[in-house]
Amino acid sequence: MVEQGGGGGAMSFLKRFPPPADGVRHQQPDTEALLAGRSLGSGTLYIAESRLSWLENSGVGFSLDYPTISLHAVSRDLSAYPREHLYVMVNAKFEEETKEAPMTEEEGDDSDDDVEPIAEFRFVPSDKSALEAMFSAMCECQALHPDPDDEDSDNDYEGDEYDVEARDGMEVDIAPVVAGQFEDAEVDH
Amino acid sequence: MGHRDRRTPRVAAPPLPAAGGAGRGAGPRVREGRGSAGQRAGRRRRRLCVQGLAHGQGLLRVRPSRRLSPAPVPSPCPAAAAMEVSHSLKERTIAENSLVILLQGLRGRVTTVELRDESAAAGRVTSVDAFMNVRLAQVTFTDRRGAVSQLDELFVTGRNIRYVHIPDEVDIRAAIEEQLQAIHRVRYFGGRDKGRSEFPHAKHK
Repeated sequence: MVEQGGGGGAMSFLKRFPPPADGVRHQQPDTEALLAGRSLGSGTLYIAESRLSWLENSGVGFSLDYPTISLHAVSRDLSAYPREHLYVMVNAKFEEETKEAPMTEEEGDDSDDDVEPIAEFRFVPSDKSALEAMFSAMCECQALHPDPDDEDSDNDYEGDEYDVEARDGMEVDIAPVVAGQFEDAEVDH
Repeated sequence: MGHRDRRTPRVAAPPLPAAGGAGRGAGPRVREGRGSAGQRAGRRRRRLCVQGLAHGQGLLRVRPSRRLSPAPVPSPCPAAAAMEVSHSLKERTIAENSLVILLQGLRGRVTTVELRDESAAAGRVTSVDAFMNVRLAQVTFTDRRGAVSQLDELFVTGRNIRYVHIPDEVDIRAAIEEQLQAIHRVRYFGGRDKGRSEFPHAKHK
């Protein structure tokens, strides 16, 4: 059993919140969470469409928003890390007790620290066979959050055509949302 | 009293999906053009454009030019040939208009993806979606400090990709053309996941 002061001052980003109720694609109990090698305890990982959440058995935990997650992976290479786990890399900083900036401190490059904060989480389920399902659920949820910075369609729009797959160029494709929408249209017979 | 000799139907946006998790900023946006439906009849869009390579944002970058349909429903990858095409109209449209279509043609091939943070992942491409999210299998991952490890599967978001290596043996033009053909097969010859294959006739007829 991991003795962890999760609710205390050690890991200040841990909060108490109810587990997600909607859109939970996968839920994995008995999963240990680690941040930069430090264990946060054992709890349940919730892979929900809105965010990734982990709650320790005591009820405290944290959530990660998908846009901040740069990659996730299944690691079974025991020589790299002794337990099979789901690895999640996040573009964000998380406070740690030791106040040690993970990794970037060694490089002594301050600008790097500002531009690219990275936090590494590992989720180690007691049931290793669940890793595939956890990975796939995360892929699905990530796909629901396309990068908003990439959406420049407003700039590109030419005001002319929009539906490549329209059969004969007709604009109307769906039943009118507004009742009587076309009533004021004039028709020549 | 004005006399209008043509109808200008107002376009209604398709209803948003009821399920939670709609992609951010990806709501349907259907816009009406200036002309009437009559003018546009028979004209079909047949445009392939390279949306551009944005400096510093990646060698091959998605530039979605349209938001046509609700947020893409992530689809599981059924066992399929390399010519698998997205089930989402929106994703097919995005792919058709950007070089991500080339990356989608790399499915099944082993290549290297370099990330923005200077780490790199070499593995077999399982899939690439329209947002350039890449899923790799049997990965050798080199982190930004140079430490190497093996990962069974890896998913990296398009936003965090700097480069995707195109293997030497890949004929780039052929790969693009094959992907386009796969999209066109879905579009013109129907299929289960073809987007909107029928249109209700104008109600006011």
